[in-house]
Amino acid sequence: MSFTLSELEHDALVEIFNIGVGQAAAAMSGIVNEAVTMSVPSISFLNRADAAALLGHRGEQAQRICGVSQHYEGAFETEAILMFPEDKSLEIVRLMVGELVPLSELTEMEQEAMSEIGNIILNSCVGTLANIFEQELQGSLPVYHVGTSEDILSASGSAADSVVMMLHIDFILEMHQIHGYVAFILDVSALRDLKEQINLYLSRVMGRN
Amino acid sequence: MESVKQILVVDDSRVSRLMARQYILSMHAGWLVEEAASGEEALQKIEGYTPDLILIDVNMPGMGGLAAAEQLRARLPHTHISLLTANVQTATRNRAAEIGVAFMEKPITEARVAQLIAPLEA
Repeated sequence: MSFTLSELEHDALVEIFNIGVGQAAAAMSGIVNEAVTMSVPSISFLNRADAAALLGHRGEQAQRICGVSQHYEGAFETEAILMFPEDKSLEIVRLMVGELVPLSELTEMEQEAMSEIGNIILNSCVGTLANIFEQELQGSLPVYHVGTSEDILSASGSAADSVVMMLHIDFILEMHQIHGYVAFILDVSALRDLKEQINLYLSRVMGRN
Repeated sequence: MESVKQILVVDDSRVSRLMARQYILSMHAGWLVEEAASGEEALQKIEGYTPDLILIDVNMPGMGGLAAAEQLRARLPHTHISLLTANVQTATRNRAAEIGVAFMEKPITEARVAQLIAPLEA
């Protein structure tokens, strides 16, 4: 593909997403009332089908996951997706609401509650990015999906062979041994816009205009 | 005797409305909490009564929370109004200040709800 990042741009991209993810971890921790650790963001350029495979085949076999996605547009466009193993979804919702909601009602609200959790975590991260770039990003309402990562990524847009940048971050709720991940998908046109924002940011922090 | 306060929680997420309600009632069991699932519904509700505090989400279907907050502020100049939102962008905080409403970020926690209702306890 024709898109490249210089070493400095790459470093800045990881650092900016690192700050965003730090805010998302704080929001997640506030939701579940326990410590959340998050990995350094890793960046890969690959086609959408490979991106799905990378996310889905993390263990012995493809697992079913529940995902919440939101589309953002403005200074740049991205699809942000929060994913958890499907069988942990109710446990996460229970951690959020504690004893406020009886279990019988909780099951009925699971999907809605997961959407709200996704909304909080994704906006925490994306909002921080927007603030760093001194720009505004408009987000869609959260969309809830259940299926394999292929199902979830294919529901979020472009063709399976189109090249995307996938930036993904693992996070772990240590006490409950729950692993999840956040991924940001950008196509080539969005990457050019993001690169421009990174360079504007670098100009500001390095005192150039 | 504690005076009864009326609070309107506006959020398209049922679980968020429920959490806000439960935290408020755990601190003041006698207070009245009304709910609305959209900005449009909130504007209808205030035709019939005047809440002491309105907590309103931003990212909602329909007119959205910012437009609704602006109209609520115009119609209820003396009511405490606060955004309660996952949208932590500076642009949203600035918009809240322009409209004349407070800002509180999600997730909804007991401590944050306590902070939001504090002006009613004074």
